Amino acid sequence: MSTTDNPPILEVSEFNVDYGYGDDAVRAVTDVSFSLGQSKVLGIAGESGSGKSTLVYALTRLLRAPGIITGGKATLRLLRQENDLPFDLLNATEAELRGIRWSQVSIVMQSALNALNPLQRIGKEFNEVLKLHDTSLSKADRKARAIELLALVDLGPDRLQRYPHELSGGQRQRVVIALALALRPELVIMDEPTTALDVVTQREIVSKLYELRQRLGFAMIFITHDLSLLVELADEIMVMYAGRIVERAPATHLYQAPRHPYTLGLMDSFPPLFGERVQMSGIPGSPPMLKSPPTGCAFHPRCAAAHDRCREESPPLVAIEDGQRSVACWLHDPTSTHEVPVALTRRHVAASEAN
Amino acid sequence: MEQLQKGEIVLEAKGLSRAFAARNEKGLFAKKRSVHAVEGVSLTLRAGEVLAVVGESGSGKSVLARMLARIVVPTSGELFLRGNSIDLKERRGTSYAGEVQLILQDPFAAINPVRRVRHSLERPLLLHQTPKNELLARSHEVLASVSLTPQEDYLERYPHELSGGQLQRINIARGLSVNPKVLLADEPISMLDVSVRLGVLNLLRELCDTKNLAMMYITHDIASARYIADETAVMYAGQVVERARGTDLIDQPVHPYTQLLISSVPNPESLEQRHTGTQGSTGVAGFNVNGCRFSPRCPQALPICTTNEPPEVDLGGGHFARCWLPATAEQKSAVALRPSTSSAKQQ
Repeated sequence: MSTTDNPPILEVSEFNVDYGYGDDAVRAVTDVSFSLGQSKVLGIAGESGSGKSTLVYALTRLLRAPGIITGGKATLRLLRQENDLPFDLLNATEAELRGIRWSQVSIVMQSALNALNPLQRIGKEFNEVLKLHDTSLSKADRKARAIELLALVDLGPDRLQRYPHELSGGQRQRVVIALALALRPELVIMDEPTTALDVVTQREIVSKLYELRQRLGFAMIFITHDLSLLVELADEIMVMYAGRIVERAPATHLYQAPRHPYTLGLMDSFPPLFGERVQMSGIPGSPPMLKSPPTGCAFHPRCAAAHDRCREESPPLVAIEDGQRSVACWLHDPTSTHEVPVALTRRHVAASEAN
Repeated sequence: MEQLQKGEIVLEAKGLSRAFAARNEKGLFAKKRSVHAVEGVSLTLRAGEVLAVVGESGSGKSVLARMLARIVVPTSGELFLRGNSIDLKERRGTSYAGEVQLILQDPFAAINPVRRVRHSLERPLLLHQTPKNELLARSHEVLASVSLTPQEDYLERYPHELSGGQLQRINIARGLSVNPKVLLADEPISMLDVSVRLGVLNLLRELCDTKNLAMMYITHDIASARYIADETAVMYAGQVVERARGTDLIDQPVHPYTQLLISSVPNPESLEQRHTGTQGSTGVAGFNVNGCRFSPRCPQALPICTTNEPPEVDLGGGHFARCWLPATAEQKSAVALRPSTSSAKQQ
């Protein structure tokens, strides 16, 4: 894509988020840095409590007290902005934020039922947002645009007259996606948009998103706990554990050749649909309580390859393999003398070689 | 307590149906309508075996489990517990509950949040007339069976102090405390963190094997059904549309709905197939359609599918499908439906 030369649409560095103040503070997101290219899809995978939702809520400044951003930088570079200046997300005033929310950056939440007003027809939802953000549109224009948006997600114009409870879960989620795209944003954030849906409906939504992104070219952050879904959709995947990024890599690399023991464990937690039935173990133990995180690497109590250093020091996220990916694990430290488990040394097969 | 043989039929359902009243047409003399949430489901649960029931939300799988647990009274059908016919009109007593236990999806909602774990474990024992001096020993025993040791650490805890996986184990332990023969698990892992799901699934399989339990595992995740089950049944709009032993159902699906389900699962192994879209997948489950309930969504529907209800076809080896495709003479088209890799061998 030609857009790769452009600066990234979103750049985040050393980002930290706490819940609560002083001694009671719980660190939910720790030292997260990443960048998202124009028209790219970044997948964030992690279990509940890994900080993946907190991260995007904080970035979009939607985080409510007692959540506080305690440090870091987040810069948004929009192509359509009149003055081509980078937008400092963390120091923006409410008025400035209002200028970019929905029109430039939109977000789709997990539960479509909660996102739609139950007392309001679908048509009114569209009408309201179009009216507020573009005063030049006439009533007829707004309706035409709403119908166009619904068509984008394969819903007929008759849906405008419906209430949310008259639609199925998948249809509701599609309405929310159409709403999110109403003002042609450059960045769309999806927070577990398919978790509450059936697998057949999930497939429909994901195919639709893939197609829409190809057509409209927006950048996307897609959050889910389902790693195999991300492999299908994302260009790059970031795996989070206990508020930190533990591994970041291009989607196929991550899937074919994980480097962090947690990523490997996550992938082994999904039984396969094909092949021999074999006993699988998942990951022993439970996710850590952020109130009392383990010392050193947060994953060490559940990690089979943990050694002394893991218990004492937290591993930094370092670039490996010519900067193609990053991993936060002492096993991949150049000075480490510990043997890396075979499963973590697999090579990925480039798409061109595979065929 | 007499020992059950492995494979022996413990619970058998014949033609279970449950109808719920639907919203009526307007007007005083309008005809009353009803929706069959479950219609004509027959199944057997065998000692030491897991029957997985797969279906999307609204397919009737939870209503089925509740009927088997006798929490929901069936509108028609019969239930046999170890060969004895159960009078479904009668109130469910503790003796039935002592044999058939139901485990629900959400452990956070299933366990009293203001009571210690000990209380939740002892309640069913007291209700089932366990002498007071045996309560502690019994609680320890069931906690050990779900690998929550040392037991003292858990008994005095409150639910909020435990993780989802641990709570679901306690939920399972509570179900096991009265020594049931049948365990009905309704989506036991769908609310849990991804990394602990497999642990709970392995535990269920192990309990089934060691305690010779007859288990029904309800899920919408067809891959987990393949992982754990001895027999798998797929439900659509209240009916079992296909069932087979072992991995046959997923390896050689015959019913178009089963095929749709399988093709919808994210599968990074075959990325070239992605985003081809699914055929005939929009729409809601047709509870009140003529003929086959899947026919409005079915990409291979024949004319007969929209008029006559399909029969259950025996495909051999314990594989059954409720579909006109294999039932009609057009056997070839049914075979062509199968995924290319496995169908050749089947022939």
